[in-house]
Amino acid sequence: MNFLAWLEQTDFSVWLRESDWGHPIVLCFHAVGMGLVVGISFMFCARVLGYSRKIPLDAFDRLFHLAWFGFWMNAVSGVVLFSGSPRRLLETPAFVIKMVLIAAAGFSLWLLARTLQGVMKPAGASARLSELEAMPAGARVAAAFTVLFWIGTIVAGRLIAYTIGPPPI
Amino acid sequence: MTETEILHWVKDTWLGVTVSRSRWLFATGETFHFIGLSLMVGGLLIVDLRILGFLRRMPLKSAMAFLPFVIVGFLINLATGIEFFFADPFMYWPNPAFKLKLFLIFVAGINALVATIVLHRHAKHAGLDDDNFGALTKATAGLSLSLWLVVILLGRLLPAFEGSTEFF
Repeated sequence: MNFLAWLEQTDFSVWLRESDWGHPIVLCFHAVGMGLVVGISFMFCARVLGYSRKIPLDAFDRLFHLAWFGFWMNAVSGVVLFSGSPRRLLETPAFVIKMVLIAAAGFSLWLLARTLQGVMKPAGASARLSELEAMPAGARVAAAFTVLFWIGTIVAGRLIAYTIGPPPI
Repeated sequence: MTETEILHWVKDTWLGVTVSRSRWLFATGETFHFIGLSLMVGGLLIVDLRILGFLRRMPLKSAMAFLPFVIVGFLINLATGIEFFFADPFMYWPNPAFKLKLFLIFVAGINALVATIVLHRHAKHAGLDDDNFGALTKATAGLSLSLWLVVILLGRLLPAFEGSTEFF
């Protein structure tokens, strides 16, 4: 707690809280990163859930690099936003719920990737993932949960703005 | 009707009164605005990057199959955007970032129209399997990604310009 109290008093933290520009600029990065991670997740999950089955799954490979880029962009901009009001955020339930939901979305994406790899292997090297027409039930469940967790993350993120306590004087 | 009269009318409509009086309608709209943003970005990335030649493993037809997500995302954001504007027209309208955002959305619409026309012409002459797109087609794809990026940034910068009527 001492560290957080110190962090709150740094020039940077004060600038983030009190300047006209600090918050909006960091939020710009946070919004673009969200579009990349959540947008690409949505599209991939839609495909796994049965949208347009002719789309080869491995065509998403390069998009995942972009999604990871967005993820790190939001991890960094998220830490910066956190440094603006660390103690108030930790006392805001919506913030804690948002962190849990991000972890849950990451876990279900990891499960989704594992399930798909598991299906790919026994079929042999010649059977490409792209030819997989019907998705295994596990993959569908993981995809549905991923979408729900990301939506929950966005809802919780919005709620932070409405439920966070007043800034320190 | 003068500008002020129009803004007063907007504020006094059923929608304006309902949203500004409600405790949660605005916040719910914002949440949907972000979900719509994600749908648009996800779909546009696939379509535009494919046209630009970055996602060669994605068959062109498969990439184009993601367009409905873009349209749904846009309609969600149009509806929620109108909701926001009606709740507080006097805050939005004088804001230069808001006016520029509206203008760029309009330009992005024209750009999408041009893209549709050149893509159809390309499909007619070269077929949908040929993906050696001309410079004009690629330009529309690049412009689309750039315009929507700036639209997102302007949306998040709206509060920074609140109270000012010009950028500089």
